[in-house]
Amino acid sequence: MSRFILRRFFYMLITFWMIVTVTFVLMHNLPGDPFANSEKLSTQQRALLSKQYGLDRPILVQYEEYLLHIGQGDLGVSFAYPTRKVTDIIKESFPASAELGAESIIFSVLVGLILGITAALKHNKSWDYTAMFIAIVGVSIPSFVLGPILQYWVGVKWGILPAALWDGPANRILPALTLSFMTIAITARMMRTSMLDVLNADYIKTARSKGLSQFAIILRHTLRNAILPIVTVLGPITVNVITGTLVVEQIFAIPGLGKYFVQAVYSNDYTLIMGLTIFYSLLLIVVMFLTDIAYGFIDPRIRLAKGRN
Amino acid sequence: MKNILEVKDLKVSFHTYAGEVQAVRGVSFELRKGEVLAIVGESGCGKSVTSQTIMRLIPSPPSIIKAGSIIFDETIDLVQLSLKEMESIRGSEIGMIFQDPMTSLNPTMTIGKQITEGLVKHQGLTQEKAQKQAIELLLLVGISRPETRIKQYPHEFSGGMRQRVMIAISLACRPKLLIADEPTTALDVTIQAQIIDLLKDLQDKIGSSIIIITHNLGVVADIAQRVAVMYAGKIVEQGTVDDIFYSAQHPYTWGLLHSILRLDDEEKSELVPIEGMPPDLLDPPLGCAFAARCPHALNICLKEDPQTQIIQDEHSMACWLMDKRVKVKIC
Ligand SMILES: Nc1ncnc2c1ncn2[C@@H]1O[C@H](COP(=O)(O)OP(=O)(O)O)[C@@H](O)[C@H]1O
Ligand code: SF4
Ligand SMILES: [Mg+2]
Repeated sequence: MSRFILRRFFYMLITFWMIVTVTFVLMHNLPGDPFANSEKLSTQQRALLSKQYGLDRPILVQYEEYLLHIGQGDLGVSFAYPTRKVTDIIKESFPASAELGAESIIFSVLVGLILGITAALKHNKSWDYTAMFIAIVGVSIPSFVLGPILQYWVGVKWGILPAALWDGPANRILPALTLSFMTIAITARMMRTSMLDVLNADYIKTARSKGLSQFAIILRHTLRNAILPIVTVLGPITVNVITGTLVVEQIFAIPGLGKYFVQAVYSNDYTLIMGLTIFYSLLLIVVMFLTDIAYGFIDPRIRLAKGRN
Repeated sequence: MKNILEVKDLKVSFHTYAGEVQAVRGVSFELRKGEVLAIVGESGCGKSVTSQTIMRLIPSPPSIIKAGSIIFDETIDLVQLSLKEMESIRGSEIGMIFQDPMTSLNPTMTIGKQITEGLVKHQGLTQEKAQKQAIELLLLVGISRPETRIKQYPHEFSGGMRQRVMIAISLACRPKLLIADEPTTALDVTIQAQIIDLLKDLQDKIGSSIIIITHNLGVVADIAQRVAVMYAGKIVEQGTVDDIFYSAQHPYTWGLLHSILRLDDEEKSELVPIEGMPPDLLDPPLGCAFAARCPHALNICLKEDPQTQIIQDEHSMACWLMDKRVKVKIC
């Protein structure tokens, strides 16, 4: 297992290096230059700025320095807010985003699993249809529609929960719910299909031929195998949720990283965009790495086959 | 000698969108203590449905047991048992081995756990004691280094080895009856022989009665004492191995015997399959189910189903050719 983890870790580093390099190349091949209103700059001013940002040196030297900085966790200074480092912006606003994302993922995966399992066990009965109805509704309503609906009815009309901002635990509920619908729907449908597949597998017949109770069969033989496909999509689900936070943070006025990302795009704040891109990529790569390892823990075929060669 | 199993007039159907599939249409046979019965017949004739109905493994819906009884150990009618009562019989009194060892073991559970589960459930052993028994069982089925093997997962075993593990699982609680549904069909020829030898050996040691389903008449001759020939959901002929191999009376049995590879005949060592297809069990024919393919079919065969009649001792079959009334007319 440790060899398997080491291998995955090595792949993770390589992936990250590739993303960082591609980002660097893109940044240096963008048309125009990164300075705002650059038509108005004189040649001298331009040279001065270039020197200040180190853009006048050979590209390989710049690349080396760029890697070195990233290695030290330095993502540079924002163009739009020259007094603030990108890493400081991340440190300040990421916690809110992370909390929202994590709450949503935990909640929605749990609910999705329960719905999917119920649907499969009550196959073709009213519970099955109800769960799958929720699932279909969940995939078809985008968060920018669902968010305002919840805000209006639950937050404003009925006044049960705060409609926006990020002050206390109650503020978490509506945005997390908005963010969760899609994941609940995806997880529920996948889990249902997967459970039905496993329940039809030959080894379940073997388990029944041993005289195990239905409960023991579900608990010991079905769930673990059925959950494997869900673990593989945890990565993409996280991607979904992270992109989701960009929208949901805007709707609910949450002081998260998503707000900065959107602003950075509007204001052509290259260093901030690049820094955040690298940060989000790193986040995703780490999530993929963790899901890979989780998969290895659950499925011995993966763990042993990959660990051996 | 006592009968470990008496199946009487068993009828099993599946309800599908197309209608009622009559998979088993009145099957009766007996199995004595310590005896090996082989069930042979083409694919789709109801062998698996029959054997899994004995274990009550076929989910209902879509299946229903329409009629008949399955008397186990002279006292219990398995058809009448609740599923809860059935759980205490499965694995402890009756064990089962399936066709494909590549899919019949749980890929994410160690071999040891899969063997001990039944022991813990039926004999109330502690995990530790069950583990010891599992190691002995693995040795018994011819797997070396059982202490290491027990911690491994199915994918670390070859097909033949997995089938040995399946045999260990099915025999863990020393059941009185073992049902093996095509236990060698998915294996290489050389391995097939090893598995059959193992089953014979274990039968000597444990003394279980065995029902073995197979396409391979060589296997039948090797292991079984009695044979039941199934066609389209019915047993058309049954008897001792000698009855079936040397004095078969049913045209379908003749066809089956012809269809096996004649190794003694080098020039014409070809498989001669029976022409045509078995009937659709959604709408089985009125008369003899084999009539459409039978070279000896009579008029009556299309109109009325032949009754099973005893030819001699244990040898019985269902065909109009053997009916006295018909014989008189032919002669
Ligand atoms: N779940 C099912 N639904 C409908 N028909 C079935 C089902 N399982 C088996 N059958 C039908 O029952 C018949 C007997 O099948 P089976 O016992 O598996 O044959 P075999 O002799 O090859 O083992 C076949 O005609 C098959 O189509
Ligand atoms: S009953 Fe008639 S059709 Fe059926 S096997 Fe006998 S001779 Fe052939
Ligand atoms: Mg079969």
